[in-house]
Amino acid sequence: MPHRAFEEVVLPHLDAAFNYARWLTKSDADAEDVVQDAAVRALRFFSSLRNDDARAWLLTIVRNTWYARFSKVGHADQHAVFDDMKDERSDEQLNPEALAIQRQAVERVRRAIEQLPVDFREVIVLRELEGLSYKEIAAVIAAPIGTVMSRLARARERLLAIMDPESTTGGAGELS
Amino acid sequence: MNCPEVDRVIDAYTDDELGAAEAAKVRAHLDVCPACRQRVEARASLGRLIRRVPYYTAPDRLRVAVATVRRPARVSPQLLAWAAMVTLAVSLGSGAVIRTVRARQAATATTAVAQDAVASHVRALMGAHLFDVRSTDQHTVKPWFLGKLDFSPPVDDLAPLGFPLIGGRLDYLSGRPVAALVYQRRQHTINVFVWPSSDSGETVTDARTLRGFQVRHWTRDSMTFWAVSDLNDIELDQFVHALYP
Repeated sequence: MPHRAFEEVVLPHLDAAFNYARWLTKSDADAEDVVQDAAVRALRFFSSLRNDDARAWLLTIVRNTWYARFSKVGHADQHAVFDDMKDERSDEQLNPEALAIQRQAVERVRRAIEQLPVDFREVIVLRELEGLSYKEIAAVIAAPIGTVMSRLARARERLLAIMDPESTTGGAGELS
Repeated sequence: MNCPEVDRVIDAYTDDELGAAEAAKVRAHLDVCPACRQRVEARASLGRLIRRVPYYTAPDRLRVAVATVRRPARVSPQLLAWAAMVTLAVSLGSGAVIRTVRARQAATATTAVAQDAVASHVRALMGAHLFDVRSTDQHTVKPWFLGKLDFSPPVDDLAPLGFPLIGGRLDYLSGRPVAALVYQRRQHTINVFVWPSSDSGETVTDARTLRGFQVRHWTRDSMTFWAVSDLNDIELDQFVHALYP
């Protein structure tokens, strides 16, 4: 019954797949298309999944699908769509003023991530939102671990510079 | 370690990707260097901020599309097993085997209902027809079934518990018209199918996963219940518990 196993393996990671695709494409519709195509590919390659990490495996297919669809035609970044902040978590212990400040900071960092080149954007998403290890990220983006580390470092330097322009790369202060 | 050396591994340190020995060296430096300490802290607070940006969850229709990605049809193993049992029963004519077959027949029937329930859940989400009556008010939804069914399904609003009722519809399951109640949890939809049970006893909840969907089944107050959702198993159990504490 490879059929049932496919759904049981893939569906638990569908949110991760969609979130990753959404950050890659910056569009709900494109992200849905990418994940749907990726699922078809995943089914075709399902027998190739042994005891590996299914999430990293699925994210790899999502990335390859996205790359095949958008990168070559060069409009991967052209979509700018409305983003709702439905899943924003907030600290209940903060007072309204601090909450507002924090919300602004989250919105700024969200925009800053969206403006990052996609090579940097994806390592931030995979690391901070998916919590993947360097080794898993290296597998997903098909790059050495050293590249993962240096891209993360550069992505963070850029974000820190955007979030706190006054500080030099060396010393961004408290952000939140 | 000195500052440039710490700088080289500062991300790996922040991400907990350094070996224990190297991490200890970094910590020793941080104890004596406020500047590096501040840079580590800046990364940590950047991480806290990033983890608050929206996490985009997959919409229901995508989940359904992925769950129904088609592959070639085949003879089901259950059917083969069933055929083998019948052959065995006929050839032996033994009462014990027939009892086993009956038990298996009952289990197979339950599985068939579960498959029907999942199929109905998927159809409702894929197609246009999730609601006949769209309302979050149980006093609107319950009377709507009057005259359409020969029973009155229990309708509870579980909004205070995080599972708001969003509507209901007539459905056809297990060879009879049934009530389908629709609840919501975030972007996830829960379909609850209800019809009178031939069994007056209470049964414990039967939990299973079918084609990637969570399915729960129980009997209570002479009613049969099937709940289907793409919600995770823990939250669906909370839902079932909320519905019948």
